Amino acid sequence: MNHPILSLQGITKEFRSKERTFTALKNVSLSVEKGEYLAITGKSGSGKSTLLNMITGIDHPTNGTVQVNGIAIGGLNESKLAKWRGQNIGIVFQFFQLIPTLTIRENVLLAMEFVDVIPKANRSKRVNELLELVGIASHANKMPSALSGGEQQRAAIARALANNPEIIVADEPTGNLDSKTADSINSIFSSLAHSGKTVIVVTHEKNSALKYKRIVNLLDGEIENQNPLN
Amino acid sequence: MKFKKTFSDLLVNPKRTFLVVFALILGIWGVGTVFVSNFILTKDLNTNYQRTRPAQVIFHSAKFDELNLQQFIDLPEVETAELRDFSLHRIEVYPNVWIPLWLFGVEDFEKINVAQVFQETGNKIPEAGTLLVERDGKKVSNIDTGKEPRIRVGGKILTVKVSGICFDPAQAPATQDAFIYAYTDMKTYSQITGLPNNQRLIVRLNNVHNEADVKKISDILANELDAKGITISSVEIPRFNEHPHQWQLNTLLFLIGTIGLLAFIMGAVLVSQLMKSVMASQVRQIGILKAIGGTQRQVFQIYVAMLVLMGLSAGVVAVPLSVASGNAFSYFVAGKLNFNILTTTLPHSVYAGLMAASVLLPILLSFSILLKGTRISVKEALSDYGISQNVAQREFGFLKKLSLSNSLILAIRNSLRNSKRLTITILAMALGVAIFSTGFNVRQSLWNLLSGLKNEMRYDVQVALNNPISKEDAMQWFKSLDNVKEVETWVGGRGEIQSKVISTDKGAGIIALPCDTKLLQLRINKGRWISKSADFKVVLNQQAMAVYKNPALGSTLTLTVGNKNVNAKLVGVTEQFERAKIYVDLEQFDAIFNPDHLVNTLIFVARENDYSKVIELKKEIEKSISKSDLHVLYVMSQAERVKIIYDHLNIILTSIVLLSFLVLVVSAIGMASATGINIMERTREIGVMRAIGATPKKIYSLFVMEGMITSWLSIVFGLLISWPLSKLAAVFFGNLMLGKEAILQSAFSLSGFLITFAVTILFGWMASRIPAKSAIDVPTHKALSYE
Ligand SMILES: Nc1ncnc2c1ncn2[C@@H]1O[C@H](COP(=O)(O)OP(=O)(O)OP(=O)(O)O)[C@@H](O)[C@H]1O
Ligand SMILES: [Mg+2]
Repeated sequence: MNHPILSLQGITKEFRSKERTFTALKNVSLSVEKGEYLAITGKSGSGKSTLLNMITGIDHPTNGTVQVNGIAIGGLNESKLAKWRGQNIGIVFQFFQLIPTLTIRENVLLAMEFVDVIPKANRSKRVNELLELVGIASHANKMPSALSGGEQQRAAIARALANNPEIIVADEPTGNLDSKTADSINSIFSSLAHSGKTVIVVTHEKNSALKYKRIVNLLDGEIENQNPLN
Repeated sequence: MKFKKTFSDLLVNPKRTFLVVFALILGIWGVGTVFVSNFILTKDLNTNYQRTRPAQVIFHSAKFDELNLQQFIDLPEVETAELRDFSLHRIEVYPNVWIPLWLFGVEDFEKINVAQVFQETGNKIPEAGTLLVERDGKKVSNIDTGKEPRIRVGGKILTVKVSGICFDPAQAPATQDAFIYAYTDMKTYSQITGLPNNQRLIVRLNNVHNEADVKKISDILANELDAKGITISSVEIPRFNEHPHQWQLNTLLFLIGTIGLLAFIMGAVLVSQLMKSVMASQVRQIGILKAIGGTQRQVFQIYVAMLVLMGLSAGVVAVPLSVASGNAFSYFVAGKLNFNILTTTLPHSVYAGLMAASVLLPILLSFSILLKGTRISVKEALSDYGISQNVAQREFGFLKKLSLSNSLILAIRNSLRNSKRLTITILAMALGVAIFSTGFNVRQSLWNLLSGLKNEMRYDVQVALNNPISKEDAMQWFKSLDNVKEVETWVGGRGEIQSKVISTDKGAGIIALPCDTKLLQLRINKGRWISKSADFKVVLNQQAMAVYKNPALGSTLTLTVGNKNVNAKLVGVTEQFERAKIYVDLEQFDAIFNPDHLVNTLIFVARENDYSKVIELKKEIEKSISKSDLHVLYVMSQAERVKIIYDHLNIILTSIVLLSFLVLVVSAIGMASATGINIMERTREIGVMRAIGATPKKIYSLFVMEGMITSWLSIVFGLLISWPLSKLAAVFFGNLMLGKEAILQSAFSLSGFLITFAVTILFGWMASRIPAKSAIDVPTHKALSYE
């Protein structure tokens, strides 16, 4: 454990509309070590998604800096940011968000194609391994619509892993799944963390939270407590 | 993989893809047709004309026998020259139907080098005593190779064998002017006509670039010839390097140019609207693509690839279509104007250009939309808050006050919700309506001109004589005619041929008639009609005004007829579809130019003047003539004259209405697609409406109502636009067809209005019906999950 892989410092996020300014994050600081398995919890509207957007560079803070692997991502332009994100961060969404017109295998390949860090010759093999890893190898050539929600989320995780990123973030990845399926998805995340990935998951589910190494609880845009579990 | 996505995206919404491709096809087809036919026609009419090596100047003299032709040709100004006899006679095209015969005597068919004719069938060189006849004449007669039509030369009738059909693309088509052109050798020419040879010299000049050059050099040449004792009686300068019916081609090309441009604009609007809707539905996916590492450039490429694919497939259909329709149109026009299409294969560059346009245009048209669509940030794309739709969320409170039904309010609000698209749709449709109704209005203007003609000319049959004779000599043959109410005798007369018989040195035809005649009531645009007076007063038509460089009313012009001059005062200007003509009181004219009171035009008014009776009278007159020794130029009934003018305009009138209809169809398609996009974007909404209990019928009538709102608005705007447009069009077509300065009175066509109205409503109904129908065919669960 040398320097943190992720470090947020004094993050404030304001949403301005004509009438008023709403502060979604208030001076949040957070650092995450490599290989950590971290949960972000909190009530609806407490700022969880906003915080994730800061980490992924999808949105920019009003104040404060975000450093990932020593790089301040605030300094990257849209295009560099997209490349960087593809290489360093795998994102998993609540609603899976697979490209409906491509098969599962093609969805994963597309991510590799965009980022172009995995040598072309290795891509096909890697897709197989990833789908194997998330347990849907047999569905590789199906369209997303032919898969169940749990299977689609597995595919989305495989896609998030496509370019072998250091960090995986997921915003309520199991929010749309039944508890049994949710458990299996969570166990994928936990084994990813075991294998050395940094995994950050936004979640509502209290019991599954038990598996996390650390839980960051947000309340009205502030970190209420950071509870490293042992 | 990127491009796999492109491809499968196209197939996900085949209807929309089809619409885009269709819109592209429409646009490219329009532009392509114009491009191809322009390419072929402008080149080919001119090439046809130039291929004959037309004369640039024509000298008339009785003394060309003394000319050393070779010496003349060797002059530096002269490229080449030939003697070509010419005179006008009459030929029987059907039993007892006679039309003018333009008879040419050719020096040497082997070495013909100016004003050439080309062999079609039969002899290339007519055997002694026979004629070649120009091919377009076959369409207005039963004359053909081997036939022996009757020809009337002066007072006698003879028969001459036709030994071949030739092609002379330099002449105005026989079908429009009702002339027969015939060619024979000089010896036969003088045998048939009894006229001397070598009266007419046709010349091509070196280093002339416009009519002014020709004028300058021909003056020099005429002076040189005069100096050698070869007195030049007149000089004719045809329009420089221009086919006599070039104006028709120009009008047509302008027309299809407009239509093509419109189709293009319509296609362009459609494509960009559709791309907008594609981008709107792809927002979330763009977000995902970017979240997994796609840069804007990569995402952009995906959509460009999509457009390239669509452009290619549109091109594959539209390019051959354009070539086919461009060719078809060219052949149609060539047939009408009697020339040959020489372009058999289009150069590869035309195909390549059209194909490149198919691929590039859609990209150019949607470039900004793509840029904007792909620039959207991941957050905006994925946010639960959604990107702010460009939707007017206003209340339109005034609607409430109108106590309309709820569904009508919904329909109106829905129409207004994408106000940009609504504006574009209505503008496009309104433009279609405007052009369609303008087409009818211009047609009406031309019709008014024609029926005005009927009003102006209150006589029924005109007999034109070759040369002036005394009134008694002329009239004696027509004493026994039954159906005649009144006869007047004039000097000069209407039409082209009369201009050749009596005209000023500047080539304007003279019509000398009693100033108080009841038989000609011209529409006077400026000034007034001629009246009895001590001085020489004239009324000019617009074409003559141009010849005399638009003198002011009340000014004095010097008219030269033969070797006499007179100072004439311009008192009025009349608007006609005619050659350049000058109207003058017969007494005044006789006093100066015609002391023997000779006449060359007999004007008959029938007692019973319905069409068949007039034609009957005309045949009676022809019979009287065949017994006489009169040298008749032509006999024409008023009805036929109107028909000839109508035939000149017909090709244009028909095209106007046909093409305007096409514009309306194109805009209706545009509207259907806009409605289609609207409905497509609201598929989910339709699902919701159905889930809360709307019957398919309700939804259907809602959309049709929306369509009707658009049509009504389009009609209103269209008619508003058509008003100034009709005025402009009348001026434009007037200039084009009646000559500069001429103004075609703009008119309103009621039937045109009603047709426009009915067709627009019908199209509007269909344009909303079809997409509405397909929308309610989508099952509710699908509609609800529609992205
Ligand atoms: N683009 C925006 N404009 C205005 N307000 C916003 C915007 N995005 C988020 N907010 C506000 O910021 C606060 C935090 O939102 P955020 O989406 O981070 O909550 P969350 O913790 O993810 O909630 P949930 O569990 O419901 O997903 C909310 O009160 C929300 O209204
Ligand atoms: Mg959230």
